[in-house]
Amino acid sequence: MPRIPLGDWVNSAVDWLLGHMAWLFDFLKLVFTGTYDGINAVLQAPEPLLLAGIFAVLAFWLRGTLAGVLTFVGFAFIDSLQLWGDAMVTLALVLVATLIALVISVPAGIWAARSNRVSALVRPVLDFMQTLPAMIYLIPAILFFGTGASAGIVATLIFALAPGVRMTELGIRQVDKELVEAAEAFGTTPRNTLLRVQLPLALPTVMAGVNQVIMLGLSMAAIAGMVGTGGLGGDVNEAIGQLNVGLGSESGIAIVILAIYLDRMTSALGTQVSPLGRRAAARLRAARGLRIWSYRPQPQIAVIGMVILALVAGGMGVFGGSGTAATADDQGGGNDVGKGKKISIGYIPWDEGVASTFLWKEILEQRGFKVDARQFDAGPLYTSLAQGSVDFETDSWLPTTHAQYWKKYGDRLDDLGSWYGPTSLELSVPSYVKGVDSLADLKGKASLFGGRITGIESSAGEMGLLKSKVLKDYGLDKEYKVVDSSTPAMLAELKRAYSKKEPIVVTLWSPHWAYNDYSLKKLKDPKGAWGKGDGVHTLARKGFAGDNPVVAKWLKDFRLDEKQLTSLEAEINKAGKGRQQDAVRTWLKANPGVVGKLAPVPGGSTAAPAEAKRTLNVAWFPWDEDIAVTRLWKNVLERRGYKLNLKQMDVGPVYTGLAGGDIDLNFDAWLPYAQKNYWDKSKDKLRDLGTWYQPTSLEIAVPSYVKDVKSLEDLKGKASAFGGRIIGIEPGTGEMNLLKTKVLPGYGLDKEYKVVDGSTPAMLAELKRAYAQKKPVAVVLWSPHWAYSRYDLTRLKDGKKLFGEGNTIRTVSSGKFPEQYPQLTRWIKNFRMSEDELGSLESEINARGQGHEDEAVAAWLKQHPDVADRMTGK
Amino acid sequence: MSSRLETEHLFKVFGRRPDAAVERLRQGADREELRAEGTTAAVIDASFTVEPGQIFVVMGLSGSGKSTLLRMLNGLLEPTAGQVRFDGQDLTALTGRELREVRARKISMVFQHFALFPHRSVRENAAYGLEVQGVPRAERERRADEALALCGLAGWEKSWPDELSGGMQQRVGLARALATDAGLLLMDESFSALDPLIRRDMQDQLLQLQKTLKKTIVFITHDLNEAMRLGDRIAVMRDGRIVQIGGAEDILLRPADDYVASFTQDVDRSRVLTARAVMDRGVRGDEADCACETAREDTPFTELCAISARVPHPVAVRDASGALVGVVPRQRLVGFLGDEQAAPVSCDAPRDKGGEKAVARA
Repeated sequence: MPRIPLGDWVNSAVDWLLGHMAWLFDFLKLVFTGTYDGINAVLQAPEPLLLAGIFAVLAFWLRGTLAGVLTFVGFAFIDSLQLWGDAMVTLALVLVATLIALVISVPAGIWAARSNRVSALVRPVLDFMQTLPAMIYLIPAILFFGTGASAGIVATLIFALAPGVRMTELGIRQVDKELVEAAEAFGTTPRNTLLRVQLPLALPTVMAGVNQVIMLGLSMAAIAGMVGTGGLGGDVNEAIGQLNVGLGSESGIAIVILAIYLDRMTSALGTQVSPLGRRAAARLRAARGLRIWSYRPQPQIAVIGMVILALVAGGMGVFGGSGTAATADDQGGGNDVGKGKKISIGYIPWDEGVASTFLWKEILEQRGFKVDARQFDAGPLYTSLAQGSVDFETDSWLPTTHAQYWKKYGDRLDDLGSWYGPTSLELSVPSYVKGVDSLADLKGKASLFGGRITGIESSAGEMGLLKSKVLKDYGLDKEYKVVDSSTPAMLAELKRAYSKKEPIVVTLWSPHWAYNDYSLKKLKDPKGAWGKGDGVHTLARKGFAGDNPVVAKWLKDFRLDEKQLTSLEAEINKAGKGRQQDAVRTWLKANPGVVGKLAPVPGGSTAAPAEAKRTLNVAWFPWDEDIAVTRLWKNVLERRGYKLNLKQMDVGPVYTGLAGGDIDLNFDAWLPYAQKNYWDKSKDKLRDLGTWYQPTSLEIAVPSYVKDVKSLEDLKGKASAFGGRIIGIEPGTGEMNLLKTKVLPGYGLDKEYKVVDGSTPAMLAELKRAYAQKKPVAVVLWSPHWAYSRYDLTRLKDGKKLFGEGNTIRTVSSGKFPEQYPQLTRWIKNFRMSEDELGSLESEINARGQGHEDEAVAAWLKQHPDVADRMTGK
Repeated sequence: MSSRLETEHLFKVFGRRPDAAVERLRQGADREELRAEGTTAAVIDASFTVEPGQIFVVMGLSGSGKSTLLRMLNGLLEPTAGQVRFDGQDLTALTGRELREVRARKISMVFQHFALFPHRSVRENAAYGLEVQGVPRAERERRADEALALCGLAGWEKSWPDELSGGMQQRVGLARALATDAGLLLMDESFSALDPLIRRDMQDQLLQLQKTLKKTIVFITHDLNEAMRLGDRIAVMRDGRIVQIGGAEDILLRPADDYVASFTQDVDRSRVLTARAVMDRGVRGDEADCACETAREDTPFTELCAISARVPHPVAVRDASGALVGVVPRQRLVGFLGDEQAAPVSCDAPRDKGGEKAVARA
């Protein structure tokens, strides 16, 4: 039987998709994260109990008094478990996944119901999606969408799509054929048959499908915690990793409360929205009469209740919001120069004006100013500036082009100097036009260019100069006709001609992004007919420099070179109108350091390094040493102005995320052995920032009540005591491979013992069980590990050193990290922790319990005052 | 208002290559042959004409193709071959949109299991056809209420279908069909799902309505009694073909073949027959000379029996002008009841002399 390389095909398909369809995934990611962020923001904003109240009113309306009360109790319980934020993250995730699932599945179900062929095609696809183990697409989802919400949404979506499609199809197909025939017999169009007969009657079934979508989504959202979506799934994952049954059940119960609530609400909604359901409910109510526990308010009352609560929530959100804004300012520290001060910039809609204005808008906003950018014509701009209603503008062409304005208003303006220059006016031809290098060369070539020079607005100064002086000086005025049009039309004409490689002469000026996008020749002007080049000046109203000395200083020092300016212009031009500032941000990303250079924050030790601007994504494993070190860095770095976003994930996803650049750092890389597989797979895209803790060891451990087993050799002949089993961890990890291929054969244990593949939590659970019963057990372990402090265990000696010399715990970063964070990289490389320090920090964290890690770190740092300075030493 | 409905050589074949199958059927191929090849000939060469205002009953056992035939009349099924003409329009030549327009305005339908929309009230159900036509709400509700009142459902407009009994539900179905003022009413076993008493009521009501509305009605049934009661003309279908078309008495007295005859055996003749069918036309002229009760040509059989029981001699039958057209001897009445039209044999030991006389008279 030949080996069919299906796996290779899938790998190359994934590579191809990554290479060629990235735009699609980026777009989807944008949609997913956008929706998710929106919903999550709404859910996180109000006070927990208030939102619980809103949920309760919803339940009161849909199901009655008892449901309302229970809802409030349930959500209040979640809040008291301190899982509210996580629960809302999960809820948002499920809602987004459901929303998207419905948008896809209901139309698909309708289509499948109407066509047997589609139905036959869709069914195996659904089976595939539903039964394929989630891990198999959860990990690739990171490749395509990065870690975090969107990968979780995609995984949830794939899993939850099927019942939506199935139930919609079933519901429509279940509608009595005679009813459909009756509709047709009265001349109903197919569309109306669907909308007025089939869908309303199928609605209960469709809603049952919605219910299933939500339920499956919720169960999947828990699994998706593995890829760093956070929420309750993250808590569950963490609890499993630490074998913390208590925390696990807390988050598990929170998930169950969410599930029950969503289930009851959607099924009640099912009866509410479908006409048949309403009929049935009304009949039931009539039969039972009014009872307090099943009393349901009228929709109007419910809506009013919701609105009132939502308004209260909104109001508190405003106050809460200002509160957080204040803290954000505090955190911003030295960056907030503006303190919300308003600055008004005026600009002329010329490319370099737009570019520089929005660049400054972005920079000033980053520095805490409130900036308002207004567009003017040249004349009104000078007037406004002179009157003081505009603070500054960046697009004055002096001394020539704007000479008349300067003459008129100059005494009421401050010239903050030229930021770009010299500029020039010129005629340009594409560089593929050979033999035309200067204005003089144009002579006699009129037929080549059709006798036309494509101009811009006839009112522009350049056009006047061209017609009245330049052409005459070179004797071209008889031969060429200057076509008046507009700047966009000239550029369009240039683009058209350029793509067809046709000769063309256009009126242009420098700086202009056209020089960035096309290969053009500026025609030389040996006679100097265009005159001397202007500089582009920044003008401010009189008194601006006095009011804003810092900004004035920045503006005075403002310089851009031609490459910077034209690339910025090209970026803005690409983004299109209304998105200038986004384009500026994109450009700033591509040109890091510009903000710091253009608007240096005045000295002082509190100033955050420029690299701290971007939020750091740090992944962590729910292992004690990683929790400790990650929280420690979080504390220390946040004091230095960095922002850290912690994501709890599994080993595989972390390495994938690091390689993809979604994750910046992970402090818990066991190298060179334990995580060798992961490291080898993408080591080109990773950076090893060095060891912070050693030594570590890999070993087999047995409880110390197992007498006579002190070393690996001692295991020989004792297989019956251990049931012939060594409890392993995840198959494929370095330690397991080492154990199976080298250690056991090396000690001659491979015939006697079987290594049980499983997972770390399962191994720990097995250890705990055996320990409680005082039964002999051999487990695969490593040091440092909390199991050694909780149980009395013997590390079996490895006399032959077959487990190899110990791993060290290192910090691993994404490939770009060292360039992006030079300072942080230096700090991390110098970072070391002693066994004492790590041990005391871990026990401090353990003592304070889950959810209080930050307090624990703060307390520990007080006892170890030198550590923070050592970590971020000069 | 009403118009003539005509069909010409209608075929409906389900399965692959229907046109070839039609060709073979035209050449005399058997339905069973085709079935062996996996094609089903549901309707074979059906031609008939329904005059305006007539009730045309299509009668046959299940599987005989009558429902398929009905659905071709309003285009729910497209005929494989042949034509349907209604109101001068060839329905088989219309586009989908035009056909829907015809269904919305000119042809309405009443279903076996009522097919009421459970998510609409009685009034909304009755107004459905008008809603499809785009009639404004106020007008369509008025017309729906009128149709409901016509069907005896005044006061039930706001109820829901599931609150009504079967008979009432079918009245809503009928009202829905009548509300659009369509000229042609297709009724697909409309009363079959009702219990016998209600079914009779509904039949009476339909006949009553028809007296004033004068719709052209095609009524499908598997019940010959119902067919005889309602039908001005009856078509009997067997295995996709129409085997006989005629009036009730034609079918009963002159069945086209044994199949039809076997059908008629169970029919309650006394309901169908009238004096016209039973009477002896060889009259002497003096039977009406006495002052005894006489019958008219359309006197039903049961009433004739009643008269005969009261009159000592054969009952005289007069036409509208009072002229004597026939006589009905008691013997003949008994003979029709027993489906025996031969003359009585002579008896070895006649119990009285009257017996001989009766034989001579017959």
